[in-house]
Amino acid sequence: MTPSSHDHAISVQHVTKRYGNFTAVDDFSFDVRAGEIFAMLGPNGAGKTTTIRMILDILKPDTGTVHVLGGPITEAAKERIGYLPEERGLYRNVPVIEVLTYLGQLKGMSQHEAERRATELLHHVDLGDFIKSKVSELSKGMQQKVQIIATILHRPELVIIDEPFAGLDPVNTQVVKDLLYEMNREGMTIVMSTHQMHQIEEMADRLVMISHGRRVLYGSVQEVRERFAQNAVIVEGEGDWSRLDGVSAVEVHDNGREALLRLAEGVTPDQIMQAAAIGQDYHLRRFELAVPSLNQIFIEVAGGNNVNGGR
Amino acid sequence: MSWHKIRLVLWREFRFNFKRPSFLFTAIGLPALMIGVMFLMFQSTSSRETDLSKFQTVGYIDRADVIVQDEIDDSEITYQPVTAPDLAPPASDASDEARAAYFDALEEAATQQVIDGTIDAYFVVTDQYVLSGQIDLYTRRKVPQALYGEIDDFMRTQIAALAPADLPVPHDRIREDPEITIRDLDSNDELSETALVGRFILPFVFVLVYVMATNTTAQFLMNGVVEEKENRLMEILATSLRPLELLWGKLLGLGALSLTQVALWLAAGLIIMQVNDDAREFISGVTFRAGDLALIAVLFLINFTLYAAIMLGIGASVTAETESRQFAGIFTFVTVTPLMLLVTFFENPNGVVPIFFTFFPFTAATGLILRMGITTLPTWQILLSLGIQIGSVLLVMWLAAKVFRLGMLMYGKPLTPRALWRALREGRVTLTTATDEVPQRRTKTRKGWLRR
Repeated sequence: MTPSSHDHAISVQHVTKRYGNFTAVDDFSFDVRAGEIFAMLGPNGAGKTTTIRMILDILKPDTGTVHVLGGPITEAAKERIGYLPEERGLYRNVPVIEVLTYLGQLKGMSQHEAERRATELLHHVDLGDFIKSKVSELSKGMQQKVQIIATILHRPELVIIDEPFAGLDPVNTQVVKDLLYEMNREGMTIVMSTHQMHQIEEMADRLVMISHGRRVLYGSVQEVRERFAQNAVIVEGEGDWSRLDGVSAVEVHDNGREALLRLAEGVTPDQIMQAAAIGQDYHLRRFELAVPSLNQIFIEVAGGNNVNGGR
Repeated sequence: MSWHKIRLVLWREFRFNFKRPSFLFTAIGLPALMIGVMFLMFQSTSSRETDLSKFQTVGYIDRADVIVQDEIDDSEITYQPVTAPDLAPPASDASDEARAAYFDALEEAATQQVIDGTIDAYFVVTDQYVLSGQIDLYTRRKVPQALYGEIDDFMRTQIAALAPADLPVPHDRIREDPEITIRDLDSNDELSETALVGRFILPFVFVLVYVMATNTTAQFLMNGVVEEKENRLMEILATSLRPLELLWGKLLGLGALSLTQVALWLAAGLIIMQVNDDAREFISGVTFRAGDLALIAVLFLINFTLYAAIMLGIGASVTAETESRQFAGIFTFVTVTPLMLLVTFFENPNGVVPIFFTFFPFTAATGLILRMGITTLPTWQILLSLGIQIGSVLLVMWLAAKVFRLGMLMYGKPLTPRALWRALREGRVTLTTATDEVPQRRTKTRKGWLRR
């Protein structure tokens, strides 16, 4: 069942955008459900930024419709959105608190409220000692955290972040991640555009992938991975895996600890697990479907091996 | 448009730029330095002036009827009585009133001749000259000390020629130098030497200050836009407020800053005038009237808006600060051209070049103010110049708004005039892409063509 547009934080339908003879986005459609963490991925120049800009009403699509937070985007709706572009910066020679207050006020907050919330969030991400420091005095990672705060300061219902973890060390990545999870738990819809596939696997509920302006993958992260699953299983244990009925080939990985069993046509993983379980000469410690990582899928799809229009 | 958001941008721009060291230096340090330097220059050069080349022809009006010979020995100056074709000299038995009316009309004609450049100066030998030695000198030029000496010699020769039998001239009168008073051509007010120097220096100072007030703050505006583009803040701002709200906020904020700068300078000027008599005298030489000052205020607003719109357009269409400075430099150079050709203005404020600058949109304000400081302008010239400036500012603002919308999100590639023209022709000025998507693809295609 397709959710109604009221359940969608974003609904992009058959959108096309051309620059002269160049088509940046071509009949592109997807929905982002309210309250989910959604990932938008694609190679450089695929049309992600153009799409984000159409969602934010910075650009007008040539054809198609974009609905945000229940309807065509309005100035009032923009105040319910937080946006962090990929290449970003802040006013460099201005104290952190002043920058945040100004940006918060532009999003409809009162000065007092913006200052209070900015102070609270700066303390939350361990930048409480730098409230009055100038932005130029902060490290790159600190600036990145300030930028994330600027994006969520006004408690937006929808946040669109391009590469949220770029430039962050593992500790700060976790700090930002926890902050985003926290906001998401409070009901904020998050749209991430990133190349860090493991972050998408970990955080995102659903994803859309765009390549050459067209949709090539769309669905939940798990569904997408399973769609690209090979007819194979990964096992760890003891036994002569090649002698199992239904196994057509065996590839040993990881210093012999792990083996990829390719299955004959018509043979299911269940049958292999059953055969191994009842076989006297087999001892299983691990058994799982050979599902590719999103990174592998991205390389495969972005490389042009599987441009089939997604789902 | 939301006034609340415009106000937020206005206040932010004002506050941030007010605290800039470069603003504080421009607002306080530079004018003080400039006035100091000029005052020293004036002190050291004014009293030592000996160059009479600017006073080749000097007219005279002899109300006392004492001048009997035009030529004197060893003089570099040609003296000639002021005449007017339509004025007949009064008869010898004419009444005092008729004589006075004739000389008054003659003085008006002489004033016009100085304005036209027919004569370089004229002096009036007053009715009571024989008793008082009083002479009024009228000119638009800085009076060198040598001219006083020349006029002294000229008058001494006349009196010597007449005395002792023809006139009841006191004996001392022949030995004493005449009392020469420099008077304003337009108002007839007495001008001290200091005031006369002020007349020549002040319009220059005024225009310089004016250019600094408009250009420095307009360049802050440009730098702000370039910074917001460079650090991609523009993209966040574009999702927080409309481009026109941002544009107006910036214009008004920096306009207020510019006015603050002028207010600071005016306050400093007033304080100096209050405490220093020389400064008051110096400033009294300028020919601005109350109406002129109101006009200058209007010109200031128009000119600031014009330059701010230009700088805004430059800021939005370039990709880096260094690039913006180059373009801004060209416009600043055009604005200060009248200052560089200042001599032309002083020599003949109604000449072709000063009149051209009065009507050329980018120099109209400075040209007009310079000429107003030196001479009295015909009303039609003021109105035409004002009309040209208002028309230009409207056109430039319209264009700047388009450029701003087109260029504010273009990173890594400048907005070319061709792209702007195409967008304007198609009537499709919207925010455009800033990513590398388009150039990358186009380069690829071009390579493909090359291969073929």
